[in-house]
Amino acid sequence: MSIGADAFGFVRDHVRAESAIVLETGKEYLVESRLLPLARQTGHDSVDTFVAELRRTRNPALLRQVVEALTTNETSFFRDADPFVALRQDVLPTLAKERPGRSLRIWAAACSSGQEPYSIAMTMRDTPEVAGWKVDIVATDLSEEVLAKARKGEYSQLEVNRGLPVTTLVKHFQRSGINWRINPDLAAMVQFRQLNLMRPFGPVGRFDVVFLRNVLIYFDLATKRDILRRVRQVMAPDGYLFLGAAEMTMGVDDAWERVPAGRSSVYRIREDQRSCVR
Amino acid sequence: MTITTGPDTDLVQAALEQVWESMLYAVAEPVPSTAGALANGLEATITVSGAWNGELRLFCDAGAAQQMAATMLGAPADEELPDLDVHDAVGEILNVVGGSVKGALEGESRLGLPQVRPATSLPDPADCVAVSWRGAPVYVQIVSQPA
Amino acid sequence: MRALIVDDSRAMRRIVGRILTERGFETSEAADGQEAVAVLESMDDLPAVACIDWNMPVMDGLELVTAIRARPEWRDITLMMVTTESEQDRIVRALAAGAHEYLIKPFTPDALVEKLDLLGLVPTPGGVA
Repeated sequence: MSIGADAFGFVRDHVRAESAIVLETGKEYLVESRLLPLARQTGHDSVDTFVAELRRTRNPALLRQVVEALTTNETSFFRDADPFVALRQDVLPTLAKERPGRSLRIWAAACSSGQEPYSIAMTMRDTPEVAGWKVDIVATDLSEEVLAKARKGEYSQLEVNRGLPVTTLVKHFQRSGINWRINPDLAAMVQFRQLNLMRPFGPVGRFDVVFLRNVLIYFDLATKRDILRRVRQVMAPDGYLFLGAAEMTMGVDDAWERVPAGRSSVYRIREDQRSCVR
Repeated sequence: MTITTGPDTDLVQAALEQVWESMLYAVAEPVPSTAGALANGLEATITVSGAWNGELRLFCDAGAAQQMAATMLGAPADEELPDLDVHDAVGEILNVVGGSVKGALEGESRLGLPQVRPATSLPDPADCVAVSWRGAPVYVQIVSQPA
Repeated sequence: MRALIVDDSRAMRRIVGRILTERGFETSEAADGQEAVAVLESMDDLPAVACIDWNMPVMDGLELVTAIRARPEWRDITLMMVTTESEQDRIVRALAAGAHEYLIKPFTPDALVEKLDLLGLVPTPGGVA
């Protein structure tokens, strides 16, 4: 019942063309499970027959739904894992040496329902070099609706099954009815606010780390460029920028340089560009 | 006398939604509960004992049960599953719903093993949650019992 | 790479089996803890991972975890509980008994695969352990 190589190849190529998101081999189960509801809704009992028909008809609405099903903010805790490993092993220890004030400000700039900023908070807690530090995490999103959910800090069984090692789950969450709720000490580290990246950011202060993951893909090149330029202006000169797994600044904004930090897309402002930020 | 709170219909609804979404690729939309006959139906029962004592009883049409089982097991829609497989699948669906419900209750409770048998009538709509499985109604009745 | 699935529900064994097989695992099954011990004792090449239900007759999942962790020759088997038991203290008990990971039912196939990925349990193409 699993998706065939042909069908997977077609879906992978289409998704990559439309969204820059890459589905590597090994993600067949993901494509299968995300597209099965769509397949069923259109009267197919398998993803293979659904895709076969889609290839014939090229129905634009369905093609769009396929992309959405596979790219929609499957936001989850510790999404992609690598960035949080990089944060813990490289970025935070480096910043810890450079901040005598023992305080850090972090911006989660497309925080959706909150899993990313809470994952950052958990990482801070579990990184010895900064465990006792004063940390402010500012988490913003365009939608007030998702921010309301994020502020609550409550997640379903299905959501906490994803991305969270179980030891992390029992350490940082409590049962709350049928759901799980992030512990108050972690919730206290995060402040949620509404913000539209396309508009001026307003007085947000300076950040040591910015997470801008999987949101630039929704904008055209000129807007991406503009956002990255304004992000530079609110970063500490030696600060770090995290992009999504398939994203890069290359070809968009050359004021950044890629930082070796495991397999992640981590960037810092180039030395020769840093004085512009002061 | 201490009264221990058992599950309410909201909790059972929430549990059904999660199981429908993750294991049955469907949305557990509420449908109106109606009492009446069940042509060729199935009833699954699971006991909960401990801080709360009671049962959850799931009722559905045998055709719906076949399809739910096929979806859950990843079998082709046209494969006729043996009764044993269908009963086992429906029992497991109730087991998972029961587990979610039990885990949300105060105090400690235990689940029994699910029992599945033919049924010919639907339960009283009071204390029942009724949801759609791709158009077919599935009922889950909450039955409280004295300790 | 091999996996052992232990659950008294045939439906669950089939579901987990399908997910693991599609991921590239060779799977074995047992319907309770005692059977699982017998299966392990009969194997030359041990599984890399065992997915273990909690509530089973004869020997339950917690007892099985304890039994497996007590045998030095089985120390390298990763133990993941896959169960409806979702209370915080139940999870902590399982971890204390030696379980490495824990997946609460209901779960999506993605979630199971992700947990295995996080543990580094990714079968390589060609079937080499």
